[in-house]
Amino acid sequence: MPALYSDILLDHFRHPRNYGDLTAPDITYENVNPLCGDRIRIEIRVNDSIVEEARFKGDGCAISLAAASLLTELIRGIPIDELSNFSNDRLITALESEIKPARIACALLPLEALRAGLKAYTSR
Amino acid sequence: MEELFEDIEKLASVEKRVAMATLVATRGTSPKREGAKMWVGEEGRILGSVTIGGCVDARVIAESEKALSSSQPRLLEMRLGDEDAWEIGFSCAGELDVLIEPIEISNGQVIDLYRRVRASVDQGKCAVLVTPLKDSTSKLLVLENGEISGTLGSNDLDREAHTTALELLRKRTSSTVNLGGEPVFFEVHGPPRTLIVFGAGHVSMPLISLAHDLGLKTILVDGRPRFATRERFPDADELLIGIPSEIAQTLAYTSSTFVVLTAHDYKYDLPVLKVVLPARPAYVGLLGSKRRGHAIKEFLRESGMDESLFDQLHVPTGLDIGGDTAAEIALSILAEAVAIKSGRPAAFLKDRK
Repeated sequence: MPALYSDILLDHFRHPRNYGDLTAPDITYENVNPLCGDRIRIEIRVNDSIVEEARFKGDGCAISLAAASLLTELIRGIPIDELSNFSNDRLITALESEIKPARIACALLPLEALRAGLKAYTSR
Repeated sequence: MEELFEDIEKLASVEKRVAMATLVATRGTSPKREGAKMWVGEEGRILGSVTIGGCVDARVIAESEKALSSSQPRLLEMRLGDEDAWEIGFSCAGELDVLIEPIEISNGQVIDLYRRVRASVDQGKCAVLVTPLKDSTSKLLVLENGEISGTLGSNDLDREAHTTALELLRKRTSSTVNLGGEPVFFEVHGPPRTLIVFGAGHVSMPLISLAHDLGLKTILVDGRPRFATRERFPDADELLIGIPSEIAQTLAYTSSTFVVLTAHDYKYDLPVLKVVLPARPAYVGLLGSKRRGHAIKEFLRESGMDESLFDQLHVPTGLDIGGDTAAEIALSILAEAVAIKSGRPAAFLKDRK
């Protein structure tokens, strides 16, 4: 049974990676949990159809912020056409925590922002 | 304050010369504070008031007409008996002084100074206009950044006035002060009082409405479009939806800004406080218990915030008036914010010495 909040989750919450804005990002999308108010914006710079850089910004709970931080690390270097295959399980597993059903939406908030941004990017 | 600038522009389009009557001193309980203005145009137009009307304003109008005829400023010193005082809204006998200055409204030196005051206020900064009551033709303008223009006639007097102006600017209080043995009026102008509320919950609704009724500009910030709606906040001047801490970085915090955090949620409170506290607005209130307040301060301390900034954080926010409903809590929060801004103890008036 993984910990409620693993060391990796707490580390990313307390010391978020890639927090901030990109200048002229190719992909940007802000997602909000309409009830609790967690709000995360994901920004990506694409170079040669590969994620060159990813950043995030937002106010949210420990799980959503840690997930966003971790996600920006995990997707770097991935080809854009493979990003849509990035699964929920992959992010949840990387958090190494026991995410309760009621908090799954928190963990997936940044990934859903990424997917929505990717959809807008690929359909343009 | 905006009313003053609006009055100037209204008059500038229809009058050439006006008498500017300014309440410069009151002793006793007054319905208006120092700095209140009345304008009497050469063509007969009247705007503003130095009391709540009645015989004092009537006398000010008559004296203004004399000032316009003679082109000479005059200081009207009125001593009111109990009977007069009741009639004009004073609760007891009192004294008030009104400076009346004939001025060119369209392009005169005085109007030019007021336009500079307005430019400062529009940028969110205070400004103080300094006028000797015995020679109101020489004026000094002191801006919040310390910059001065004009002169009272000597470097020593200007230096002394500069120091006093900056003190009064911090209190946001207009007042007559003796400088070099002579009475000098310090007219303090600043940006409109503004309430910024982070969190669109149920306490925020009456908080915004009550602040609106008090004449404050109101700004509501939340990340949730379902909560931060015009329907829930009909009186908000601005509804800002987005990442609260990011929005917090875009707002102006002046000595006239009240900030209240009602989200009752660490994820909003901590990142927003990291922005707001170093900006030192007039008041910062946080909804929550003392225990929660201690925890919030501990988190802020861990994040490296200077502990001296904690003094301005009021948590729990509000006065102890036994408030239970959202409206009563809102009332207690605004009462505390106004008291802090005014430097008053928020005690019973009947106990005031």
